[in-house]
Amino acid sequence: MIGALIYVQWQSIKNRLWMRLRRLKKPKYLAGAVVGGAYFYFFFFRNLFAGRRRGTVAPEVLSPESVLLFELLGALALGAMVLAAWLFPHQRAALAFTEAEIAFLFPAPVTRKTLIHFKLLRSQAAILFTTLLLTFITRRFGGGGTAWVHAAGWWVILSTLNLHTLGASFARTRLLDHGMSNLRRRILVLSALALLLAATVLWVKRTIPPPETADLAGLDAIKYYVRRTLTSGPAVLVLYPFRLVVRPYLATDGSSFLLAFGPAFALLLLHYLWVARSDVAFEEASLALARKRAEMVAAVRAGSWHSAAKMKRRKRPPFGLRPTGTAAVAFLWKNLISAGQGFSLRTWLFLGFFAVCIGGAVSVSQQGHGWLLSTVGIMSVILGGYSLFLGPAFLRQDLRQDLVNADILKTYPLRGWQVVLGELLTPATILTGVQWCLVLLSVTMFSRVPGGDAIPLANRLSLGAGAAIIAPMLNLISLVIPNASVLLFPAWMQIGREHVGGVEVIGQRLIFMVGSVLVFAFALMPAAILFGLVFFLAKLLVGMFVAVPLAAVAAAIVLAAEAALAIWWMGRLFERFDLSTEPTS
Amino acid sequence: MIEVEGLTKLYDEFPAVTDLSFTVRPGEVLGLVGPNGAGKTTTLRCLSGIIPPTRGTLRIAGEDLARNPIGAKRQLAFFSDEPRLFDYLTVWQHLVFTARIYQVADYPEIGRRLLQELEMDDKVDLLPGELSRGMKQKLAIACGLLHSPKVIFFDEPLTGLDPLGIRRMKDSILKRAREGTTLIISSHLLHLLQEVCSHVLILKSGRKVIDGTMEEIRQRFSEQSRDANLEEVFFRATGEARETP
Repeated sequence: MIGALIYVQWQSIKNRLWMRLRRLKKPKYLAGAVVGGAYFYFFFFRNLFAGRRRGTVAPEVLSPESVLLFELLGALALGAMVLAAWLFPHQRAALAFTEAEIAFLFPAPVTRKTLIHFKLLRSQAAILFTTLLLTFITRRFGGGGTAWVHAAGWWVILSTLNLHTLGASFARTRLLDHGMSNLRRRILVLSALALLLAATVLWVKRTIPPPETADLAGLDAIKYYVRRTLTSGPAVLVLYPFRLVVRPYLATDGSSFLLAFGPAFALLLLHYLWVARSDVAFEEASLALARKRAEMVAAVRAGSWHSAAKMKRRKRPPFGLRPTGTAAVAFLWKNLISAGQGFSLRTWLFLGFFAVCIGGAVSVSQQGHGWLLSTVGIMSVILGGYSLFLGPAFLRQDLRQDLVNADILKTYPLRGWQVVLGELLTPATILTGVQWCLVLLSVTMFSRVPGGDAIPLANRLSLGAGAAIIAPMLNLISLVIPNASVLLFPAWMQIGREHVGGVEVIGQRLIFMVGSVLVFAFALMPAAILFGLVFFLAKLLVGMFVAVPLAAVAAAIVLAAEAALAIWWMGRLFERFDLSTEPTS
Repeated sequence: MIEVEGLTKLYDEFPAVTDLSFTVRPGEVLGLVGPNGAGKTTTLRCLSGIIPPTRGTLRIAGEDLARNPIGAKRQLAFFSDEPRLFDYLTVWQHLVFTARIYQVADYPEIGRRLLQELEMDDKVDLLPGELSRGMKQKLAIACGLLHSPKVIFFDEPLTGLDPLGIRRMKDSILKRAREGTTLIISSHLLHLLQEVCSHVLILKSGRKVIDGTMEEIRQRFSEQSRDANLEEVFFRATGEARETP
């Protein structure tokens, strides 16, 4: 029977790979694959080849003390994860199957044990991939030539953790079946933990002299104290099994790896026996889990990340929507509900009030604490700048979310530009609100250049007003780019239809990211030139205080004209948009 | 009134619908039938302005869909087989949003009446995720009927409805036809079409095989038995094999 399950797994992987290879015939995937491949080569593989060819990278040798410390810290981290597996979950044991697997396997004459083995076998695919990834990230296969040791070490850690999590879920279910509630179990686990901690603390107090302040001055002294604490008394016993699991990863050569691997593998086998011998009913919970996962996948494929990420709750509308008036406002209203209550008018008023109060209060008492103020001010400026680029990636309550509902949107008696404008309003409004708060913080707090002169209030007000004037238009432009891309290249943007992944998709996203930055820079050029001209003229004629806002108004007008043109053009695109003709992966 | 002249829709080179012409008058219910891939859904999507036709003229209640899409769309409602809803809006919020889009000033009254008719008046605060498939279908219908459309397109309207829902849907279709609404229904459920449709249009491979009143079609394809039902007519008209497994 397990042969049939292996067949399903093998064929699925093979077909998925074949499908990905076949789609490389399409230029968009080929270009993505080239860029994605180059990215992986330069980020991960280059070191491997360089290290082998030139042999210039010296192996990084850790001192035995450092290895011990890493082993202890790794064991602590692993212990925390194991503890979490006993403490936090509250559901019954459920094995992650797809709905198709449930439909085929659950009614089939397959034993529960076989299903567990299938699940374990399948999780190995994910573990091997994660092992490869973690080895790349932690070692990049370069220097030292111990890549395989690290890979095998990661495999032991991940496999043991996977088996333990599964075994713990079976044990929790068994406890539930025997009448032990989640609360009682948690109290028991926490009590055991408290006992262990108390015993360790008592032991340490009695046997290890408490550190002096001078002992804790340097990092080495702290490391020494941690090592001593964790290698004596009850901590030795508690951490021992976890250290066994971590040890192969930290082996410095082949022979020490083999020495460490034996006990770790024995522990892994014990875990396997524990899981394989568990006879716990997981079918019903697995069914519910599969349904939940299918809903999440469907939501993600439909572009609705937020509904996949959290439970849907009824949200109060941000304002009352009258039945007559500009249609675009209806989209703002709808998408603000989607964005959640966090963006209600009350929140904005509160944020504004908060920013003014904090800023004002700190400004009054800034003598001697100017650095703190300036730091907050600088942070606000940096965040404001980042929000221009990162905001559109996070706030997707626009066409990127709604285009899967193009069938409804297109039956509405609206011009394309009305739909596009309406869709852009929500992220633009939210981003602008956030940026205005940041501007307020910057103006009130960024009163001094770190280690330099004070910035006069007039200058701050002038720059703040300029930033506040230009921000909405900059946001519109930065949002136009991804939304226009969705209409122009829907198959590149994965707005739904089909799940895609792989190196080529990473490459596509890199291409899109670079393209977006270039388009944004290009769109800013006319506004920047006009800003410069108006600023210098106004500075000569009326002074700096008025020059910045005036130049910002001029630049904002240019950007508004660009945004209007783009929205009109996107409206035409939307009217002609035919999702049914778009090639999917 | 729906007037279609020479509707052609190509997907790349593939003709989904070819040179289709027909007229549906107020009060008439046209059943659009055909085997899978015949072009039924494509026809309805073109007629409701979701996808642009490659060629042809489409008029909805006298308004040319290409020249005056806004005017035409104000008159129509399209119900797809899979109800498309916004998963973060409650039942009532869907109606509020739709009212603003269609500028329905008296929507609270109409909305409440529709929800009552559809037995959803106790579900106004629920999200689509909390509704059964049939209820979602009803919500989509309530939204579509809020602006009192003169033309209605149904694509497989009975999918997911329970027997009582099916009965109510049939009654609702007939009631709206009596009130002068023009309807097109695409469905594989031939017995449903036989009960509610006054006219039938049979499509095959994107081309019209025949159209006319139910009686005309029946007479045309019932050489052997005068009381042939729509199912018999369908198989004869499309030349589909009718084999018993």
